[in-house]
Amino acid sequence: MATDSAGTRTEAGLEGIRDGIAQGRFPAHVFNDREIFDTEQRRVFSKAWCFLAHESEIPNRGDYVTRYIADNNLIVARAESGEIHASLNMCRHRGNMMCKSEMGNASHFRCSYHGWVYKNSGELVGVPYMKEGYGGRIDKRDWGLVKVRTDTYAGLVFGTLDPDAPTLEEYLGGFQFYLDLYLKQGSSGSEVHGPPDHWVTETDWKIAAENFSGDGYHTPVAHQFGFNLGYFASSGSTHSQGWAASIPGKGHGIGLGHTPGFPPFAGFPEELAEEMRSSLSPEQVEVFSQTRTAVGTVFPNLSFLMQPFSIVPGEAGVRFVTMRLYHPIGPGRTEMYSWCLVPKDASDEYKQEAYRAYTLAFAQAGTFEQDDLENWARVTRSAGSTMARNIEFPYVMGMDSTPDPDFPGPGHVVTPYVNDSNFRNLWSRWSEYMTGRV
Amino acid sequence: MSEAVPRPEAENPDDGEVLHYPRDGGNDGPIVVANEFVDVVVRKVQTRNGVRLEIFSPKHNTCVRFDAVALDCLSYQEPEFITSLLARSPAP
Repeated sequence: MATDSAGTRTEAGLEGIRDGIAQGRFPAHVFNDREIFDTEQRRVFSKAWCFLAHESEIPNRGDYVTRYIADNNLIVARAESGEIHASLNMCRHRGNMMCKSEMGNASHFRCSYHGWVYKNSGELVGVPYMKEGYGGRIDKRDWGLVKVRTDTYAGLVFGTLDPDAPTLEEYLGGFQFYLDLYLKQGSSGSEVHGPPDHWVTETDWKIAAENFSGDGYHTPVAHQFGFNLGYFASSGSTHSQGWAASIPGKGHGIGLGHTPGFPPFAGFPEELAEEMRSSLSPEQVEVFSQTRTAVGTVFPNLSFLMQPFSIVPGEAGVRFVTMRLYHPIGPGRTEMYSWCLVPKDASDEYKQEAYRAYTLAFAQAGTFEQDDLENWARVTRSAGSTMARNIEFPYVMGMDSTPDPDFPGPGHVVTPYVNDSNFRNLWSRWSEYMTGRV
Repeated sequence: MSEAVPRPEAENPDDGEVLHYPRDGGNDGPIVVANEFVDVVVRKVQTRNGVRLEIFSPKHNTCVRFDAVALDCLSYQEPEFITSLLARSPAP
């Protein structure tokens, strides 16, 4: 069980959760629990590679955005040299926040308290009354902004607080194959279409991360209007078709929904589909050309979704990509960031159409977003109730599935699309971090 | 290099002088360049025999007027040059 007789979470409780996942069980309380939240901050978010920004959010020298890893606010800036740096958004003198704006452009940051000035790469360069006040007792080289280790993949900038973490490439562990669908739309790749939608919601980050790691099961129910009104090209009778792909031991997973008779790369402009046929590998083309919906999560809290969505019901769908970050700010509370990614080389008309489809479905007031949040907020509230402390959920769907031997993509890939396989992998990885094995 | 940099008094507005700029800058400015740390107002200033670019800081009530040679010189400075200026005078 997850609790001892005093009702307090213990190391044994966390070990019990880990054992339960292997048997297809996962406790309800983890989705709204102060002690779980506090442990996640220390053991998951302070150790994992966490998403910070897309490079296209800071294309020019001096551009910066502020983001979080755990409860640490970071400045992610492109320095005058063109390199990307992540620094703790905290003046080394008395700890004031350096950048209050969430985005901007500055070659130097000047603290509004005592006026210490740093280069946007984080080096301390200016101290008011240096000679009169400090008399040579401060060496500027010792008092730069605290740096955070970063690495990138295909435009995604990640950071980790763990100096001993493996490389980002090793951390992603082959999931790049699937990420390319979102990040390499066309030969020049993808870019953000404006700043992220950003809001606070009464749900736990894990509910969202799980849903986006491939929950095709909820779609015909939670989003049934999308089927019924003709916004969404699938039907209840075929919706289980497709694949669930996960990277064992890494936590990443993606659901690949397939609709019989769906034209290859449907919803993309033809010239973009042609580019992807030549710029992606033959294996990726084979997988992606028959994918209607691709919904995936990079452990722990970065997710993507691509699908065609009809702006006018009944008309042909327009492909859009949403990238979202579920930043935990408390047990059962999440700060949501949602971007629209568009192909960099596409026409302005297609970018606008893709953004409209994204806005209609998955922006803050998007229809699918509202469907999900309505459910997730109630799941979160239930999970925090006293009786839920000893309730478990079944995660047994697809436990007997054998991997598809003919599937050309990497990882553990099973059919049908409707499957708990990705979730078991996700929570298994989470429990590795939570029990201190990582 | 001295830490204390004298104010360029010859270029400064007089005490109490309020600088007025037209709201529509047209070709001569003003242009407001701002970020969350500071803002400055930039405009072209005609002299009898030529033109200068004026940079005015409402926060400090200071301004400098650069001619073409000075601006040309700035155009090939490294970013480190500005850093070194801020190291000498990071705040008023």
